[in-house]
Parts: sequence; structure tokens; C-alpha cells
Amino acid sequence: MFKELDPILHSQLRLAVMSLLISVKEAEFTFIKEKTNATAGNLSVQVQKLKEAGYIEVVKQFKDNYPLTTCQITKKGIEAFENYVKALQGYLNTDN
Amino acid sequence: MDDHEKAITPNESLKLIEEMINRARNNFGDNGHLYLLWGWVIALCSLGHFVMWHFRLVAHPEMIWMVTWATMIYQAVYLRKRKKASRVKTYSDDILGYVWLVFVVCLALTAFVLIQYKERQALYSMFLVLYGVPTFLSGKVLKVRELTIGGVFCWVLAIASTFIIVKFQLLLIMLSVIVAWIVPGYAMKAKYNKQKLYGEGE
Repeated sequence: MFKELDPILHSQLRLAVMSLLISVKEAEFTFIKEKTNATAGNLSVQVQKLKEAGYIEVVKQFKDNYPLTTCQITKKGIEAFENYVKALQGYLNTDN
Repeated sequence: MDDHEKAITPNESLKLIEEMINRARNNFGDNGHLYLLWGWVIALCSLGHFVMWHFRLVAHPEMIWMVTWATMIYQAVYLRKRKKASRVKTYSDDILGYVWLVFVVCLALTAFVLIQYKERQALYSMFLVLYGVPTFLSGKVLKVRELTIGGVFCWVLAIASTFIIVKFQLLLIMLSVIVAWIVPGYAMKAKYNKQKLYGEGE
């Protein structure tokens, strides 16, 4: 039986964001935008979905009078990411 | 990546994960500024100390090391600014911050203990031992070969220093920071600038 792939993570941009955040402690929105080559609007939508799922924590504050959004992966997000990778491996092992 | 819900195959997923992790890892955020700063300060202080001592130019040549206090103040301001400007925080930044903090504490304690025991002749040898620790660890964490080699070089000089008189050990201190901090500092600066040029940097 195949494990079902987490629909929250099985989307190109959301997976890219999670893969970036799993490698660092925290990152600013502009950093994620630059690394994923996404548009601000699309990234905002996907970040919001990850936040609603409890996979990331989003902190909004001000730095030098400019709004600053910082994202950080949560424990739940790490677990979900690990399970997703395990499920992927299951698919690939069957393919080979 | 402008497709809102673009479907991907498991293979594409794995490739994407790998690519993004590499992009985060390859973000080389250290421009080598502090390695160069401290490298030059320590090199010039040790050379100045040696010259003034050897040629008996002043009564207290060791006073030249007061320059390091001013350097520490500059470093505190610089780190504060850098922290503010940084858009990403990594676990390795945290680890290395603590490694260098431990180094400064150990350096101060070693100096205190050796002076208390009136074992001044071991001071520079112990400094060389300690210089090697954060340098080697930074080299491994940041994957900067020059730093790792520099760390080992400090330990080799620590052994060599036991065979020469204290005054000339100052020249070994100078040599150690040239190899362990100045050379890697310029290598890191070049790597950082190159990355910035190709739009991959912080």
C-alpha cells in the first residue's frame, strides 16, 4: 500500500518553502521569495496555507519602519516533512 | 514558481527538495570581515610588541595590546549591524557564535590562571593552542578549508613555540594569525563577493 502524500506539502512552491526552512533556523519572506523565484502574491498565499496547517510559524513585525515577515518551521512541520520524504521513498522504491 | 497548485511527481519532489536544501546551504553568509580585522590587529600588535621589546623602545611594550579593546567595541557594533541586516538565521551561525564566545572566555581564563601561577612563559604557547580550536571548528562548519588548515597550523606552532624564547614566540603569534585568519579571511571575502556577483548571496 502506498502512503498518501501529504496534500499540503505535495505542491511545488509549498514544498520549496518547507525545504528551505528545514535547512535554516529562520528566514525572512524576501529571502524565501528570492530563493524560490516566486512572486510575492503567490508566496503569501502558500505561506498562509503552511501556517494554517501549523507547519510554519510566521512572525510579522517592523524593522526600520518597514514591515518584516519572518518564517520558521515548527516541530509539526518537521514531522510532516520527514513523513513526506519517507512516503516519497516508498513510491520511488516501487518504481525501481 | 508561479503555478498556484502545480502537481508534481515523486521524482520531481525529491529533486526540488534537494535543490532547495542546496540553495539554503550554499548561501555563504560570512564575508570574512572579522577574520581579517582580528587577523590584522593581532598580527600588528604582536609585531609591534616584539619590535618595541627587542629594540627596547618603550618601558611597557605590552601596552600595545590595548588596541584589542577598541577592536572589541568595533566588533560589537559591527555584529549588531550585521544581525539587523541579515535576512536568514542558520543553526551554524548560532553554533559558531557560541564557539567563539567560549574561545574568548577560555583565552581570558588561561591568561588569568597562568599569570596567577607566574607561568608567563607558557602564555603564548597556550594562546596558540586556543587559537586553533575555534579556527578549526569554523573551518569544518563553514566548509572553508583554509580555516581548517589554519587551525591545525596553530597547533603545530604551539609545539614549535616551546623550543624558542618568549620574545620570539610573539613572531609565531603573528605568523599563526596570518595563516589562520588573514589568508582564510581573504578567501572568504572572495567567495562571498563572487556569490553576491551571481545573485546568490545574502
